[in-house]
Amino acid sequence: MNAAFLKKVKRNDQLARWVITVGGMAIIFSVIFILVLIAKVSLPLFLAPKAQLQQVVQLDRANEQIVTFGHDEYMETAYRLLDDGTTVFFNLEDGSEIDRFEPDPPAEGLTPLTVESFGRLRQAIGWSDGQLTVSQVRFKPFFDINNNNQRRIDHEIIPLALFPTPADGIPLISQARIDEEGRQTRVNRYPGNHLTLQVREVSENFLGDEEITETETTLSFNSSGTLTTLILSAAGQHLYAGTDRGELLRWYLSDTEEPKLIETVQAFADQRSITALNLVLGDVSLAVGDETGQVSTWFPVRDEMGDKKLKRIHTLSQHNGAVQKILPSPQDKSVISLGPNKLILDLMTSERFLLAFGEEEGLIDFRLSTRGDSILALTKEGRLLSWKLDIPHPEISLGTLFGKVWYEGYDEPVYAWQSSSASDDYEPKLSLAPLIFGTLKGTFYAMLFAVPLAIFGAIYTSQFARPRLREWIKPAVEVMAAIPTVIIGFLAALWLAPLIERSLGGVFLSLILLPAALMLSILAWQGARKIEPLKRLERGFEFLAIAPIIILTIAIAAACGPGLENLFFAGDLKQWLFTEMGTRYDPRNCIIIAFAMGFAVIPITFTIAEDSLSNVPNSLKAASLALGASRWQTVWRVILPSASPGIFAGTMIGFGRAVGETMIVLMATGNTAIMDLSIFNGMRPLSANIAVEIPEAPVDGSLYRTLFLSAVILFVMTFVVNTIAEIVRQRLRAKYGKF
Amino acid sequence: MTDYKPANPVLEVQDLRFYYGDSRAIHGVDITFPEKQVTALIGPSGCGKSTLLRCFNRMNDLIDISRVEGKVLLDGQNIYDKSTDIIELRRQVGMVFQKSNPFPKSIYENVIYGLRIAGEKDKALFDERVETSLRGAALWDEVKDRLHDSALGLSGGQMQRLCIARAIAVNPKVILMDEPCSALDPKSTARVEELIGELRKNFTIIIVTHNMQQAARVSDNTAFLFEGNLIEYGPTDQLFVKPQNKQTEDYITGRFG
Ligand SMILES: Nc1ncnc2c1ncn2[C@@H]1O[C@H](COP(=O)(O)OP(=O)(O)O)[C@@H](O)[C@H]1O
Ligand SMILES: [Mg+2]
Repeated sequence: MNAAFLKKVKRNDQLARWVITVGGMAIIFSVIFILVLIAKVSLPLFLAPKAQLQQVVQLDRANEQIVTFGHDEYMETAYRLLDDGTTVFFNLEDGSEIDRFEPDPPAEGLTPLTVESFGRLRQAIGWSDGQLTVSQVRFKPFFDINNNNQRRIDHEIIPLALFPTPADGIPLISQARIDEEGRQTRVNRYPGNHLTLQVREVSENFLGDEEITETETTLSFNSSGTLTTLILSAAGQHLYAGTDRGELLRWYLSDTEEPKLIETVQAFADQRSITALNLVLGDVSLAVGDETGQVSTWFPVRDEMGDKKLKRIHTLSQHNGAVQKILPSPQDKSVISLGPNKLILDLMTSERFLLAFGEEEGLIDFRLSTRGDSILALTKEGRLLSWKLDIPHPEISLGTLFGKVWYEGYDEPVYAWQSSSASDDYEPKLSLAPLIFGTLKGTFYAMLFAVPLAIFGAIYTSQFARPRLREWIKPAVEVMAAIPTVIIGFLAALWLAPLIERSLGGVFLSLILLPAALMLSILAWQGARKIEPLKRLERGFEFLAIAPIIILTIAIAAACGPGLENLFFAGDLKQWLFTEMGTRYDPRNCIIIAFAMGFAVIPITFTIAEDSLSNVPNSLKAASLALGASRWQTVWRVILPSASPGIFAGTMIGFGRAVGETMIVLMATGNTAIMDLSIFNGMRPLSANIAVEIPEAPVDGSLYRTLFLSAVILFVMTFVVNTIAEIVRQRLRAKYGKF
Repeated sequence: MTDYKPANPVLEVQDLRFYYGDSRAIHGVDITFPEKQVTALIGPSGCGKSTLLRCFNRMNDLIDISRVEGKVLLDGQNIYDKSTDIIELRRQVGMVFQKSNPFPKSIYENVIYGLRIAGEKDKALFDERVETSLRGAALWDEVKDRLHDSALGLSGGQMQRLCIARAIAVNPKVILMDEPCSALDPKSTARVEELIGELRKNFTIIIVTHNMQQAARVSDNTAFLFEGNLIEYGPTDQLFVKPQNKQTEDYITGRFG
């Protein structure tokens, strides 16, 4: 070899090595890159919540008594209501006064006695004669064309309702609500556990005139303690009260004449005083603060008797002293509570502690903005502090993603995936557990069906079939892999599912008949093979005999199925399954999935298993046969162990395929996120879930990021499976040698 | 001198013709193998030695297109009779291949493979057979401390002796060896040849070789095959010293082959 040529060979060698290295690296990097990209989207789910102190405004405490206050969403304008009824609007940045509204009492010379502010900047002011007005402050962003299109926040005060003085005189405190139909509800508390209900209903009579009906009733109840706090639901339908002996009372006020005390619950065995109550967004859960500083939430749950009873569901944070006030977030199921020296923000559903802030400021009262993203709090010294809250995804935590969660209105904690619903205050349920379960379930049934078929098929083709036949089978199976999965899913959902549902009895019958028929035919074959013309058929053409037997058996089963159902299952196997076995039969179930996914899994597993079986050297086969082993013994004891790394790899790649398979499961499962192992119902796997939900998920929302997180999990699952597979394969290879 | 008929025949071949599809590879061979002696089959490459050898344990059945005519009598029973149990036949006629082919299992499992597939489960018998077979194959001392290690860790010569041990573990009457030393180095070859000398006390051995020195060293009788015909058969010393046939002489003197 001349020197130049040698050099060229060496150079090409070097070049090839480079190209291969770069290619391999590029693949590894792009895989990692994809993972990083996906992970990056999901990562903000786990960002820590933050509260940032925005402004501190010192108010003139000496000359005024602030009874309530509020602020706009932009944290620009705020107002305070003084004890003489004056409303002062001021700039929140520097405290400078913008505007002053003279008191608007229902009669001359009245001063506010009590103020209750609730929801959306509303306040109910009880005046010194016992009358009560409800008004609302409205902030409106306004773009000033004359002044460079600058944004200004305009404000106004809108009177909403006026309640007359109650029959029992001036109450200690009142709460008032107005529902969408204009029904006005007022609850008054008097000393000595005396409660009255005033309802004003405006209705139109048939002449089109307005008619006002006013009722006033006493809400009577028995309690060992004294009422400490009340809360009336937003529509005024439900009333909750707490006492100083740890009791919770619940009324239903819909029937004005006969308001109903539904229950009195001894909420705390130690009879601790209940110091604060409020309703969590949605008005179902009751947030309770007590004198020990414990915040908990309660809602009615069906007990053993089937009655709905108020029950402690979630235990939230603990203050180091009595809870003074609780406010719900207007956006989600979180709850802010004020204790002796700080504010704590908890998410009810997940019992996740989000934030504590305002420590050692001497806070006495606070408000939330309508968006729930800012808080304004008042200190003893008359300072107003405002915080901007940054809680990107309060409802997401490892607990809600993977654990059981007791959602509002449920009778027990559940794993649930339900990302959206029609109602506004609906809480998305984003548990990945049922999805992971669904993925594993679908994969399990698919593998149960596909792997034995693929491996036995591979054994037959490589070891028993004639080479000519093998040349046909292998490409045919490989073509199976090329069928678009959407077509498989389509056929499974629209053709196979109804077919199996119609002939469920037949399907089961064939499950029994088929193995029996095969056994019988094998026995028959053992006898028949001795006869001369059949002898020539013996090797490699067994399938010619098997195929008609299978088809015939299935036909017989299909024919007998309905009769069998009539005979044993009262004519309807599905109904029988439901009543006798307690499993619901979904038309799109794991039987369908097993068949359909088989199409995706079998080719790949078959091909790899077949290759590795064929690659077992003939010398081993010969050695075994020469020692007097039968063909089957040879396959079982020599060929299979030697090919096991390949068969295992094929199975695992099939597994990976099944885990990631999307189109088939999307179309052929019901996509219901249930956690039920039964083969008769469907599931919702991670992959299909992503496909279903991602078009609907608002970008960068919790759902969106959770879907990305589920993609990461899917990725990690396949990665782990493949890694384990590779390790096991290496072990097997070390054990059974490589050829 | 193809009418040589040694005493105590174990295997008698009568007018054996073998076809690969339409082409005949063995053209009517008659030969008798005597008990507990070593018979060497020699001849140039492609003359049908391996084919003939494989007829004796019906390994040729594995080749789809093959066809056999004539008779092979093992203890007077034609192994090509319909009633013959191939599995029983292969138990009686063991085989050692050109390329050593231990199973990817432990040394122990390799040796007892033949017993296991016969349904034997007796552990004590396994232990005993492993020792006697490995001793019989002159391998015991080398592997007795690592019986449960993979057989694939042995050297080439050891592997081939393991294959011999595996073959004798089922106690066959006849052992067929197809160029057992062709892939071995001279030292290992010498050991295997020595071993064959030992084995002939208990087994009838038919060995294919194209190494004439080897045939001369190990065998009692030698058959010379050429193009599918048995050219000459006789006691080894006679055949090598005084070949009767011109072709035999040409071959053993190295004029072709
Ligand atoms: N599996 C087979 N199919 C077809 N022809 C074969 C096969 N094996 C061997 N032959 C042919 O049969 C003849 C004898 O081969 P073989 O017995 O292997 O010779 P040897 O072992 O003496 O070298 C050769 O011509 C060879 O080409
Ligand atoms: Mg040969």
